[in-house]
Amino acid sequence: MAKVILGSWRDDVTDNRGLKKSAIPEAFKGLKEFESGNDILAFMGWDGFFLFDRDAPVVDMARAYVEKAQEESCGYCTPCRVGTKVVAEKLAALADGHGRREDIDAIRSMAAVIRDASMCELGHTSMTALLKMMELMPEAFEEAVAGRGPVKRGNYRAMATAPCIEACPAHLDIPEYVDAIRSGNYYESLAIIGRKNPLAGVCGRVCVRPCEFVCRREELDEAISIKHLKRFVNDQIVSYVSARSKPLEEIPSASGKNAAIIGAGPCGLTAAFYLKRKGHEVHIFEDLREPGGMSAVGIPDYRLPRDVISSEVRRISEIGVKFHYGKRLGRDLSLSQLETEYDSVLISVGAHGSKSVGMEGEDANPEGYVAGVTFLRDLNLLHHIGEFKPPVGTRVVVVGGGNVAMDCARSAIRLGYSKVSVVYRRTQKEMPADHEEIEGAMEEGVEFLFLTHPVRIDAEAGKVKGITCVKMDLGEPDASGRRRPVEVKGSDFFIECDIVIPAIGQSSDFSFLSSGSGIETTKWGTIAVDDNTMMTGRDRVFAGGDCVSGPAALIDAMGHGLRVAHCMDQRMRGEKMSMPEAERMFRLLKTMSLPQAPVNRLGNKARCRLEMRPARERTSDFVEIERGLKPDEAIREAERCLRCYRIALFATEE
Amino acid sequence: MTTIIETKKKVQLEIDGKTVLAPEGATILEAARAVGVRIPTLCYHEALSPIGSCRVCVVEVEGVDRPATACNTQALDGMRVVTRSERLFNLRREVIRMILAHHPLNCSPCPKNGDCELQDIAYEYDLAPNDFGSYSIKTEEYPWKEFSTPILDYHPRRCVLCGRCVKVCKEIRGLGAITMAGPGALASIQPALADPESPSRCVSCGECMRVCPVNAIEERMGGGKGKPWETEKTATTCAYCGVGCSLELNVVNGKVVGVTTDDAAGVNKGRLCSKGRFGYAFIHSGERLGKPLMRNEKGELEETTWTKALTKVAREFRRTLAEHGPDSIAGLSSARCTNEENYLFQRFIRQAIGSNNVDHCARL
Repeated sequence: MAKVILGSWRDDVTDNRGLKKSAIPEAFKGLKEFESGNDILAFMGWDGFFLFDRDAPVVDMARAYVEKAQEESCGYCTPCRVGTKVVAEKLAALADGHGRREDIDAIRSMAAVIRDASMCELGHTSMTALLKMMELMPEAFEEAVAGRGPVKRGNYRAMATAPCIEACPAHLDIPEYVDAIRSGNYYESLAIIGRKNPLAGVCGRVCVRPCEFVCRREELDEAISIKHLKRFVNDQIVSYVSARSKPLEEIPSASGKNAAIIGAGPCGLTAAFYLKRKGHEVHIFEDLREPGGMSAVGIPDYRLPRDVISSEVRRISEIGVKFHYGKRLGRDLSLSQLETEYDSVLISVGAHGSKSVGMEGEDANPEGYVAGVTFLRDLNLLHHIGEFKPPVGTRVVVVGGGNVAMDCARSAIRLGYSKVSVVYRRTQKEMPADHEEIEGAMEEGVEFLFLTHPVRIDAEAGKVKGITCVKMDLGEPDASGRRRPVEVKGSDFFIECDIVIPAIGQSSDFSFLSSGSGIETTKWGTIAVDDNTMMTGRDRVFAGGDCVSGPAALIDAMGHGLRVAHCMDQRMRGEKMSMPEAERMFRLLKTMSLPQAPVNRLGNKARCRLEMRPARERTSDFVEIERGLKPDEAIREAERCLRCYRIALFATEE
Repeated sequence: MTTIIETKKKVQLEIDGKTVLAPEGATILEAARAVGVRIPTLCYHEALSPIGSCRVCVVEVEGVDRPATACNTQALDGMRVVTRSERLFNLRREVIRMILAHHPLNCSPCPKNGDCELQDIAYEYDLAPNDFGSYSIKTEEYPWKEFSTPILDYHPRRCVLCGRCVKVCKEIRGLGAITMAGPGALASIQPALADPESPSRCVSCGECMRVCPVNAIEERMGGGKGKPWETEKTATTCAYCGVGCSLELNVVNGKVVGVTTDDAAGVNKGRLCSKGRFGYAFIHSGERLGKPLMRNEKGELEETTWTKALTKVAREFRRTLAEHGPDSIAGLSSARCTNEENYLFQRFIRQAIGSNNVDHCARL
């Protein structure tokens, strides 16, 4: 545990320099080392600073912090552009021992102007820690101008971050690409997204957008439509580039190393893209006949048209990633064979199996009982070529409250079943599905039975005849914070139906793993990997995506893809494997979970709403529902971004 | 048919103690101007949407600690705004000092000297060269790039990064040919690329130069031909095409040295294309026809009088009409003529000649 010598956060001062002891802020209970064997001496952030070591290099650290702020300044507004430059130069003079006493006053007054008059949150926050340090430790700055020569230097890890960047599993630089849209530089914007995310068109349509849930604009009016902006910029450029139909240039495999990736889902595609960009030869082996994994076969076309995935995959194959379809690990390929032929192997097979609900009669597998993932997979693979044979019947009951359940229900409506119901054991408020999905399903005529739990499938002659449910009541909150549903005794009732689609979760199939392979699985049915390197117990074999995390969002799998590509690259180059430094910093910040002061600004601009096809029109086909933003709407939306950039700096021992 | 114009909703706010009724959606700056409260601005330009980059127009709004920029903050019902206070004066002064810390202060060789918005605001805030230290960015440190067009020169040191040029290119020209690119104090205006392979989208209209408050974007054909106070401005109409844009010829010692516009005048409201703005060098060209020329027996052009030249033209028209009929003659007039001249010309071809073969080069 790190001991705070002196610190302040949002004017809450902790001072342990004298005899009087203050309490140690909760935030630092888990904080000690930056990485193994490298202690953190001090931290500077957006609302204050903390010293963990009496000998932390205060003045030099302030210099490094403000220099980082100047480096990150976009140059748009005067105070941040010029002010941070002047303050950084003055602090550098102080650190070099050339500073004068009047420089200290100049720094203080200019810092206040930067804080008060800058345009975005970067300027608003970049001087807070410095001003507080000057207030609580004036002697450190006085000493620097006392003519005693250069001050003590230190080692720093600094980065610009923002709540949305921290929330995104791939840590996309959201304010930067939004800013590029605001300036009308769509190509640049897509290039910024492409640094972390090769599937902008897919994410721009179906991402669960953790970023928007932490958007600070919400404090003023409403969060920014980050997802729609991503889709907008992707669609703008894709139509532009494809109009010229010029393929991307192939990247040569200069490293002389090759990697095999099992599964062309979001994790596998992301890892492939970045490994190829790092100069490795990359081969993807995919069980299905098309790429995209769950994003292709788990999400219906009305939400994510298949040509969006294929155009993104085309870009990945244009740079030289080789795709091999119809190859399944354990059937057409063996792990040991891949290990011999490739320098590293990534297992990203996803979670395509369905979890059972645990109701009576499930194991008999009667006709009309179809797992949600199976239903969606067959629909996605076969419907567009006219070969899909929907389960026979007229009444459908979907079990579950997530996005997969919504996808099943809304697809069933489109297939023309006369009645489609969703049974969910809690209330609408607790449903994990996106509220747009729930509302969309309601508009389309899906019936919702909340606080309802199925207990038995009733079948006759091997065919579903209906489903018996009980009513539930919400009890005490469970570990997830949601109130636990409790059965109401004697409330059984029967729903007559022909088709039951369970969609309550997915699992992975690890039949390709033989015992003694060295690859362990966890009690949650996932592959165990080293958290630091994403490598399995077997050297050169890595794993990522749903088969490691359990069923999660697309962007989570892509975040895995990025991290695993980083370590696979290090392993193939024979370097020591470690998680990217930025990832380490994001984790430290998450451990600390420091609050940010409220947005002290005026707002009164509602978020742009997407135009949807009317429910009456859309329920008869699988054509995309949402229409993208128009350029003027996108620019207006981008202008709403507060650019909550903030600089975090760790002073470390080495 | 009668059109009912719906009266826009109004918001009521207080600015420096004055009650203002402003249309919904108006900015604090617009509301303040409506009641005669002056808020200093630098990056703001009436023809453009608010930019909010210079931070000179900061005002205080009750209930919010941080000053807001009047130019891009919406006036809301019940708002109480203060535009003058010691804190605001100091903030504005510091911000202008920061701009000046970067801008060269030897004004005399600058062609904008005397007509410079930065000079005006520095004067207003009583700032003199020894009021601020500069910081050390050398001109050569800037990532120097060819500007978007060879007709314009960009001076990164003069530039105050107000962003007007970027806005005008996007909003008025609809091109987005230039952009502001950082990092930090090294930010400068640079050509924007549609994609890495596309050439500049710039059409050399010079709108960026027009809105530049400090002459950071300068015409390459100009410079050193006269100071603003020596220049006589003659309002006239552009002769290049049928749009009829209003412009001002800048005349120094009887010579046209440049073209400017009045933002309020004419159909163009200050805008011009590259021909109207830069196509004036022909006026003093030695190659212009000053007198009529006629071919002699050897086929060489020779100076002559108008009487002789017009007599010859009339004789040749009569001869052609007699020998080949009116349809053998066609008339093509110039878009640079006025409407009235073009009208007369077609009357002449139809009535005097008797031909319907008459056209006009409206695609100049």
